[in-house]
Amino acid sequence: MTRFILAALAACLVLTSPSRAETDDQVTARSDVIDLAGAFQNDGFKIRDGNFIGQISKDHSQIVAVNLYSGNAYWFTASTGQKLDKLKVSLFDDSGKPVSYMPYQSGPRAAAGFSPDASGLYYVKVALQEGQPATFCLIYSYK
Amino acid sequence: MPLLRKWLGLSAIALLSVFSASADQQSAGNTTAADTPLSTDELKNASSVDALTVPTPGEFFKAIEKGGKPNWTSQYRPPVSIKSTDRAQMALNLGTLIADGYIAVEAHDGQQVKNVGKDVLALAKKLSVSQSVLARSASITQFAENDAWDQLNEELEATQNEVKKALEENRDTDLITLVSIGGWIRGTEVVTGLVLQNYNAEDAKLLRQPALVSFLKSKLTNLPGKIQKDPLVQNVSRDLDGIEKMVSFSADHVPSEGEVKDLNLAASKLTKQIGAPE
Repeated sequence: MTRFILAALAACLVLTSPSRAETDDQVTARSDVIDLAGAFQNDGFKIRDGNFIGQISKDHSQIVAVNLYSGNAYWFTASTGQKLDKLKVSLFDDSGKPVSYMPYQSGPRAAAGFSPDASGLYYVKVALQEGQPATFCLIYSYK
Repeated sequence: MPLLRKWLGLSAIALLSVFSASADQQSAGNTTAADTPLSTDELKNASSVDALTVPTPGEFFKAIEKGGKPNWTSQYRPPVSIKSTDRAQMALNLGTLIADGYIAVEAHDGQQVKNVGKDVLALAKKLSVSQSVLARSASITQFAENDAWDQLNEELEATQNEVKKALEENRDTDLITLVSIGGWIRGTEVVTGLVLQNYNAEDAKLLRQPALVSFLKSKLTNLPGKIQKDPLVQNVSRDLDGIEKMVSFSADHVPSEGEVKDLNLAASKLTKQIGAPE
């Protein structure tokens, strides 16, 4: 497990643009979200080698477009790494309608599990329900 | 679907057991839906990023495996020409070769993994991004010799990302789009080929990807004029228009065998053009 987490962390670091200095908040969010996603690996989920890092506040959620395949199962995982925050991850279809998913929420860490019936475009929404404006990291796992 | 729910359920249990000691407010295990639909503005301003919005070939291939073990070796192709000096062609070719690497891994064919790895390294050298690939090639060879297929899958994904990062460092960011497009086209050729071998509705529905092709096309449109004038890039751009129509069907439509064949022919045609000698 540790090896997988380290490999995923290294892969995420690789994706960071060399022209942008990495902040402590980004490092914290990224390592925390990978720690959370590591729990799925025992069930055969593979962490996608890529991430989205952004700013979030109670008034400003972030929405990311993803293209998914029917038949696969996915977990979308996000964290700010800040203990006082409360984060929520939710999922929508290509028209913006909510879809059923399996939620997980624990303070600054949140996840949504989803098995699409149809391949195509979906949206992942990351919302800050409690806490000060923060940096978050979103990744996903699939199998 | 029940099986998938079971998988997700198991993962939720794993989450609960891992974090139960530290979490005071957590929920997992129930299916729910968000309350409010996304607004028009939210849809319009949604972010699309290569690293999450464009699935890897491995993700595509994982989906087709659900119906049974496909005959991956049937999707091998003859070695492609890597002698081109056209950087756009090299980038597209690199994407198709990385997809070939995933096919070899799925086929559990260590020798083919090494063969493809050599071609990837040769192309990476020509694009001046070989250092990043060199660092991975040794472990790819080792994993291939040890039949470590899961690790190989991870190495391939990391290799693709490192190539893209190196292109970014070299101020060749425009070529990153072409690597992604090459990989997707070859992946589509392979998946449609596998669907045709054992046609069924579930597999055929995997081919619905209208937004993905639209995203890739929009990235092509934003490339500098010089690259857009490249004859091969123009061909890819034109043919993607046709391919976009083929993969833009409603969620309840099942592509017929004929429709899958048309898509396979279109993707195969492009793959051949990308791998053709200059």
